[in-house]
Amino acid sequence: MKKYIQALSLLLFSAFFLLATYKLPDWFPADIYLRLDPLLGLNAVLALKGMIDRVLWSLILIGATLVIGRFFCAYVCPTGACIDVLDFLLFRKIRRPVLKTDSNLRRIKYILLLIFISSALTGLSLVFLMDPIALLTRFYTFVVYPLAITLINLFLDGLRPLFQGLGWITLSHLHYPQPVYYMSAVTLLIFGGMMALNRLAPRFWCRYLCPLGALLSLISPLGLFKRRVSRDCNECSICRKTCPMGAVAENPTKTHSPECIQCKNCAETCPKEAIFFPSSFSVGGEYSTVNISRRGFFLSLAGGLTLGFLGSQSPFTPLQSKHPLIRPPGALPETEFLRTCIRCGECMKSCLTNTLQPSLWESGLSGLWTPKLDLRMAPCDQNCNVCGKVCPTQAIRSLPMDEKNHAKIGTAVLKKEMCLVWAQNKLCLICDEICPYNAIVFRPVEGYRRPVVIASRCNGCGFCEQRCPVRGESAIVVVPDGEIRLKEGSYIKEAKKLELEFKPDPGDDKFILQDSGFKIEEERKKEGDIRPSEKPNPQRPKGFL
Amino acid sequence: MDRRNRPMTRRQFLKTTAAGIAIGITGSSALIQAAEEYDLAVISGDPASATKKALEAMGGISRFVKKGQRAILKPNMSFARTPDFGATTHPLVVATVAQACMEGGAQQVLVLDHTLQRAEVCLERTGIREACKNIPGVHVLTLQERKFFREIKIPRGRVLERVEVIKEVLDSSVLINIPVAKSHSTTGVSLGIKGLMGLIWERESFHSQININQALADLATVIKPQLTILDATRALASGGPGGPGEVKKINLIIAGVDPVAVDSYGVSIVPWYGQNFKGRQVEHLLIAHQRGLGKIDIDQLKILKGTA
Repeated sequence: MKKYIQALSLLLFSAFFLLATYKLPDWFPADIYLRLDPLLGLNAVLALKGMIDRVLWSLILIGATLVIGRFFCAYVCPTGACIDVLDFLLFRKIRRPVLKTDSNLRRIKYILLLIFISSALTGLSLVFLMDPIALLTRFYTFVVYPLAITLINLFLDGLRPLFQGLGWITLSHLHYPQPVYYMSAVTLLIFGGMMALNRLAPRFWCRYLCPLGALLSLISPLGLFKRRVSRDCNECSICRKTCPMGAVAENPTKTHSPECIQCKNCAETCPKEAIFFPSSFSVGGEYSTVNISRRGFFLSLAGGLTLGFLGSQSPFTPLQSKHPLIRPPGALPETEFLRTCIRCGECMKSCLTNTLQPSLWESGLSGLWTPKLDLRMAPCDQNCNVCGKVCPTQAIRSLPMDEKNHAKIGTAVLKKEMCLVWAQNKLCLICDEICPYNAIVFRPVEGYRRPVVIASRCNGCGFCEQRCPVRGESAIVVVPDGEIRLKEGSYIKEAKKLELEFKPDPGDDKFILQDSGFKIEEERKKEGDIRPSEKPNPQRPKGFL
Repeated sequence: MDRRNRPMTRRQFLKTTAAGIAIGITGSSALIQAAEEYDLAVISGDPASATKKALEAMGGISRFVKKGQRAILKPNMSFARTPDFGATTHPLVVATVAQACMEGGAQQVLVLDHTLQRAEVCLERTGIREACKNIPGVHVLTLQERKFFREIKIPRGRVLERVEVIKEVLDSSVLINIPVAKSHSTTGVSLGIKGLMGLIWERESFHSQININQALADLATVIKPQLTILDATRALASGGPGGPGEVKKINLIIAGVDPVAVDSYGVSIVPWYGQNFKGRQVEHLLIAHQRGLGKIDIDQLKILKGTA
């Protein structure tokens, strides 16, 4: 029964993950698992010092845990399910060493929880490092998803001759764009390490490290269902060995309640059928206390505050308002953004063009894994607003399409010394051609037609930067200058206030001609007299003779 | 008895003449006869019926697509724009041609493009996939991977020696180019010949390394559509090729076998960037004409004008 529920939950998690694409309907909560996670919510709310609507979803899990107990870890947690599956595949036949320091190790998760919460109070969001749902979503985004696409494409390539033979047109041309990410290897290593720890003890992660498990165990003692052992018990201690959480005390009739995840393995394996999980109201008992000393409490509190201090002790902190990264459209102001973002990677998974990439150290410890746009690789598409829709903490605000397109993320800057037109007189107009907002126009400069950026029309989408044919660094790059970051309120209004116009007048290029001040010649060119493109010819649009 | 050898009776003569006049009055026979005589058909009307009529005027689809053949249609669906931006071919024009091909006995119709923007969004926003969805045998595909292309030589190439072209285009005997009429910031206008760039793999060098106007003419020596149907139901008179820009609703369909002639006529239909131009003033068309790829002076063309 437990296995089926776990499998179903993992399947649901994967399905919701897959559905996070640009076509996502507004009402569909693809980020539901992340929303339900009270640790992520608590962390974001504490760090932001403000309420976030979507975080209220986590009250469901809090309520359920209060009523039922710490069932989440055994039945719902997709990371727990992954651990169980890999445990079964890899370590089933392995005799694990006995960890003598078991009770000390158990404390680690509470200490970590305290560290994360206290550092959140200082405004440094670190919980993403170890929250199981954020971790798994990240692993899915940076490893599972790209791998799956690679495998599917290999499979399609392998069967292509067959599809062609059968005349299945669509299948024989099917190919999914391969997503690529920075930090895939790092993410895999972290997840692999998490799984490898099971070699030492079953559910090592859940027992000793998981801060979400720690939070849930703190609120679980009120739960209705608790392990009870009847008098039939002959103290054979088989239950003690089978308990994946080590929740059975040395006296097998007793239970470390906060550790019990109600998986009922003990009841299933008990030869005397002496173990029950009846519903009953009871709190307390010597084994239900969380085993963390006052000293440990204060030490971890201090640890968290120190981390918070260290996190802010970097030139990145005073530079936050001048940060160099292009953030997703609708991202909160940088300080609030860093505090709220839980680095789950959901925005990067769903990003239509794959431009959203994790940051490494560009904005210091506080900015690890936060999304940035890599516009040289791909632009931000004006038909897509999914990143905000799937953001569980609304570090990227969920915006209607029109609002999103007014959430200016930067401004394109033309580097004349690298531009093929400015520097080499070439016939290149790709940036102008591709710009969806007509923000790049050609103007006569000293008799030559030259591209220039009209900043008030540029919303930073980056089509120009991506398409620029100059090798290496683009000759036109989007910089964060002019970005609009609002905590609340309308981007359209703000753009109007700033006199920005992202929907240009029709016939935009006309004014090139008017500006030029040249009279338009009507004389016909003789056949064969093609002007070389190097000659100045400002009075005509490009391509005409 | 062999009737054909018998002299025509007066009665027969009168009957035939009357019938001829009757057909002549309806105009349709003139259209059918136009097939080989006219260089261009210029039909005004709504996208679907003007396209239908233009096809008839060019001699019907059977002139181009034989039974059991695979036909390739090349619309412009390179941008993720809805039809009203004028940056992509009208979906009804594409669907009408596709439908005609299937009705004419084509084995299948492939509607192909190598899009500039994200393919799935292009397919969705242009409306072309939706319009062709319910026509059996018609497949709308975007080919964004190099493995779907094959390199060929360009024997008459000046700036291009080789080019990688979509395999299906090389392997099929029928290619119908269905460009949209729009301005283009590099080549002046983007019509049929410029649209051929949607069938090749590598295009960036056209802008950075080689002369794009020469390259387009090179391309036109090896990719030769049997028919070009220019969708000028809307013309993007500025801001092209991606828009937004000034969209003029001129409700024209221009069809012809000669790719330069169609494009050259297309240049004359609206002022581009506020100025009137002739085909000769468009560099890549002039080069193509000089290299013997088609007629450029529209006053020397036989043009059938009509209304659908």
